[in-house]
Amino acid sequence: MQARDLAEEFPVVRLDDDALEATRLMTDQGLPGLVVVDEHGGPLVVLPASQVLRFALPEYIEEDPALARVYGEREADTFCKELVGRKVRELMPGRQYLPKRDRDKPVVSAAATLIEVASVMTRQHSPVVAVVDDEQILGVITVHRLLGAALPRS
Amino acid sequence: MNAPTWQVALSIAVFAGAYVTIATEWVHRVKAALVGAGLMLMIGATDGDAAFYSEETGIDWNVIFLLLGMMVIVSVVKQTGVFEYLAIWAAKQAQGRPYRVLVLLCTITAVASAALDNVTTVLLVAPVTLLVCDRIGVRPEGFLIAEALASNIGGAATLIGDPPNIIIASRADLSFNDFLVNMGPIVVVLMGVFLLLARWLFRRSFTYDAGRAAAVMDLDERAAIRDRTLLVRCLLVLVAVLVGFSLHTLLHIDPSVVALLGAGVLVLVSGTTSEEFLEDVEWETLVFFAGLFVMVGTLVNVGVIEYLGEQAVEAVDGRYLLASTGLLFGSAVISGIVDNIPYVATVSPLVNDLVESGDNTPKATAMWWALALGADLGGNATAVGASANVVVTGIAARSGHPISFWHFTKYGLVVTAVTIALAWPYVWLRYYAYG
Repeated sequence: MQARDLAEEFPVVRLDDDALEATRLMTDQGLPGLVVVDEHGGPLVVLPASQVLRFALPEYIEEDPALARVYGEREADTFCKELVGRKVRELMPGRQYLPKRDRDKPVVSAAATLIEVASVMTRQHSPVVAVVDDEQILGVITVHRLLGAALPRS
Repeated sequence: MNAPTWQVALSIAVFAGAYVTIATEWVHRVKAALVGAGLMLMIGATDGDAAFYSEETGIDWNVIFLLLGMMVIVSVVKQTGVFEYLAIWAAKQAQGRPYRVLVLLCTITAVASAALDNVTTVLLVAPVTLLVCDRIGVRPEGFLIAEALASNIGGAATLIGDPPNIIIASRADLSFNDFLVNMGPIVVVLMGVFLLLARWLFRRSFTYDAGRAAAVMDLDERAAIRDRTLLVRCLLVLVAVLVGFSLHTLLHIDPSVVALLGAGVLVLVSGTTSEEFLEDVEWETLVFFAGLFVMVGTLVNVGVIEYLGEQAVEAVDGRYLLASTGLLFGSAVISGIVDNIPYVATVSPLVNDLVESGDNTPKATAMWWALALGADLGGNATAVGASANVVVTGIAARSGHPISFWHFTKYGLVVTAVTIALAWPYVWLRYYAYG
């Protein structure tokens, strides 16, 4: 089986799209992440849901996790308000997040085998990879779809 | 000089090279200290016996193990959540009013820095400060800078509060109580003045929305305590360790031994794993100290320090007030520019010669306090003057509130100038005018 056989349609977002809308897209469709494309429509990076959480959570709670416990329930319920008025690019601190080299992009060729797809996912800690043919996105493969195809038949 | 001239010249060159490298941060300070120590051994200016088995000419294991013991104690204490509890409790006591919050947080920081160490204290207080500032809707930069400054002032009060004090205590054979009695009173005065000064210095940080300030009352400080039993055990051991330090003259147990015993007991009663209690040990700092001691010890070994000591004794010629004044102001300037640890490690043997030449009289011994005050308070002058400053600016940058070198320094210079200006009359009145 090749990557093209598993590729499915998947929404993509751009760096200047609204962060809140992008996150809603993820939650409404139950997606593990979103493919962020550059100005030419080429895949740039995958924005996993965990990164959205990391952005919404105040940095001081990452510094000192004990502080998470001191919030009251009412305030804790609204911690995602940080996303209001933000762009997708703000969710991903550029220098640390955006790929420096092509091989760091969450991309596989249409002819890639399942083990190649799994390798890219694990290397880049990405729950989604884009399948590209001739610089155009054919679709994406999620980690669930990959595992579903690769598990031995019972 | 005891060694061949070429060896003396080479050891001075190695020391100067390493010192410049450390000061300018061309390479990591640990690498510079280790390479310097290695070169000293390679040129034969020192040897294994002198470097590893003599505290005069090599590694001062009392200092290393005191630091190690305290680091282990701190790594267990921080797991209790007591700092977070205290900081949120303080913010609630202040009812979210920014200046009151700053006063209470700085006081907690100063007291904790005296009992533990500066870096750990600001590492624990800074995140909770960000939380409190976020809740009351004020910019946190001024609060964070004030806490770094308070930690350096508070740490000056005790033997264990600031690394330069640990070095001075070991070289001068001064006890925990000596520090408390000689440094404590002036540190209390300086903290009071600093808190008043902060009202003006950080005035722009105190504009707030009373409605938002009330939100701080919703925080639950009790939820920060992870394990009440562990907290009680930690506090008991910490008190026992502090009592052990203060009973040094009675028990004759070195502070390093007290700290190691305390660390051992705490590890046993807390049930923490070795990974947990070793996690916060700053191995880099310990190795840096070891390398530094070998380099300075080599200068003692080849006779450079003895020669400089003789020159200093001749120059001072019994004018100890002048020497103390020079040490206080000179140390403040140098410690603001370079790390105060290598500075104090280098100057201590010289001060030791000066104090011994004065037969350890109170007027001569006062030079140690001038050195400690200058080095500890001078660390406040710039963003790189003390480790706590570097840690605070790092946390500020990661939280999206960067504090530039000059932003920190413009406050640090004022506080250093005021505190040093107040420290001098203290030294003069206490040890020379009425001593």
